[in-house]
Amino acid sequence: MSRAGLALAALFALFVALVLRPELMSPLLRLVAEPGQVLLYDRQPIRVLVGWHLALVAAAGAVACAVGVLLGVLVTRPAGADFMTLARMISNLGQTFPPIAVLAIAVPLLGFGFEPTFLALCAYGLLPVFENTVAGLRGVPATVREAARGMGLAGAQRLWRVELPLAAPVILTGLRLSTVINIGTATIGSTVGAVGLGEVIIAGLQSGNTAFVLQGALLVALMAICADLALRRIERALTRA
Amino acid sequence: MIRVSGLRKSFEGVTAVEGLDFEVAHGEVLALVGTSGCGKSTTLRMLNRLIEPDAGHIEIDGRDAREVSPDALRRGIGYVIQGVGLFPHWTVAQNIGTVPRLLRWDRARVRARVEELLELFGLEASEYADKYPSELSGGQQQRVGVARAMAAEPAMLLMDEPFGALDPVTRGRLQDEFTAIRRRRGITAILVTHDMDEAFRLADRIAVMDAGQILQIDTPERLLRGPREGFVRQFVGLDDRALRILSLHRVRELSRPAADAPAPNQWVSPDDTLREAASRLIWEAGDSLAVVEEGRVTAEIRAEDIWRTGARGAP
Ligand SMILES: Nc1ncnc2c1ncn2[C@@H]1O[C@H](COP(=O)(O)OP(=O)(O)O)[C@@H](O)[C@H]1O
Ligand SMILES: [Mg+2]
Repeated sequence: MSRAGLALAALFALFVALVLRPELMSPLLRLVAEPGQVLLYDRQPIRVLVGWHLALVAAAGAVACAVGVLLGVLVTRPAGADFMTLARMISNLGQTFPPIAVLAIAVPLLGFGFEPTFLALCAYGLLPVFENTVAGLRGVPATVREAARGMGLAGAQRLWRVELPLAAPVILTGLRLSTVINIGTATIGSTVGAVGLGEVIIAGLQSGNTAFVLQGALLVALMAICADLALRRIERALTRA
Repeated sequence: MIRVSGLRKSFEGVTAVEGLDFEVAHGEVLALVGTSGCGKSTTLRMLNRLIEPDAGHIEIDGRDAREVSPDALRRGIGYVIQGVGLFPHWTVAQNIGTVPRLLRWDRARVRARVEELLELFGLEASEYADKYPSELSGGQQQRVGVARAMAAEPAMLLMDEPFGALDPVTRGRLQDEFTAIRRRRGITAILVTHDMDEAFRLADRIAVMDAGQILQIDTPERLLRGPREGFVRQFVGLDDRALRILSLHRVRELSRPAADAPAPNQWVSPDDTLREAASRLIWEAGDSLAVVEEGRVTAEIRAEDIWRTGARGAP
């Protein structure tokens, strides 16, 4: 196994261990805790929080990916060029609008919990996927596009067999950025009652328990790093082919 | 067979190509030559409808090109793109098999055809079939580009500077290969090049283009003997036209009977050009040369015959 592979395996193992056996973190947490404080978050099992956190990020990532790629494909077709400005605006808006503001707007409409957070993450994750899809498709060399047309590949065949496969590594970079950002951003969902690791951090902030904050932050960071490394490996594998 | 008449195309009001009329017969290679930007690629790309002409008529094998859907038309015409344009994410075999797969040939037939073409272009199938384009040299990539265009046995080939951007040695080798493949298979093609020598070597007829128009279209020899005033004269180059004319002829055309004998020191073979024979005669300061096949003298060629072929007013 390569060094990057080993690092990923080690970090992932550490993450799984800390999720299944949170008490392994106690010695570290004791360093920041006030005497007599509870060290480990105990209102919900950590693995339940991690499960929901992942589900939230994955669901939002899937939607951001589908919508972002679709928009990116659309605006790079000759017929869709007019939508470029509009699509850019929508996806920029999603990114620049603070997720917390999306929550503020979404809660009255969708209620508390999973749904408003999901919406905020979808909006937030859209831009990197969209921008990278456009960049990836535009980056297909003109000679290759000319060849595909000249050989008689129909429009859809050119897209599926030539343009998307060649753009795939760049699109995947966008998906990776989007995912990593959202793993962190998902923590704010806990302010509106979405189940996730943000709950641990917020509980710590509310009760002045630094150990909780550290535990939650460490788990989120580890999750983000593992996702980043794993997706990088897939990108590299795609680029090589 | 291709028939083009009155073809015109302009981009944003600027004329790229105008008033083109030409025909390419079955089995013929027509070269389009001219300086860069004179409209060669534009002409080629109108033939397979990568660009739609503003006016004019294109007939391919007796059918109006507009009556065939662009994709179907392109699958029936081999296209060698300027700049090669291999699909970087596909292997050599997948690249060559592009059009056969679009035409839904079965797997075994595609594979057989790919191997046949690799062999034809001197690339060992077991070594090269599964390589990616980035693993090939420039010359190998261009070979694959031409093989890909020929894969589905198209009625004709459009080749846009197929041997461009190569060192002279590789270029010469590919040109020889093309000639050899032509002799074995028969190829109908339009070859775009800015290199007059390449046109002389490979084409049956040459169309000299300038500023979007064909100034003269003729066989290489007639172009050399009677170029029109102005650009054609300049582009064809008259300094060494006698030698160029000699290089269009083969020794066998002029050989005279000679007594059987073992090969002497200096000789030519029947397929050598008269230019090569002339060069050897000058070097030897002789007035005749033995023509040798398989180590035996079979004929002779005389200097006076060669000089007469290269002279003004020769038939
Ligand atoms: N798609 C295009 N849009 C605008 N101008 C073009 C386009 N394609 C070619 N041209 C112009 O048409 C002229 C002929 O180009 P081209 O056929 O590519 O020349 P060649 O292949 O002989 O070098 C050039 O002036 C070029 O700038
Ligand atoms: Mg050109």
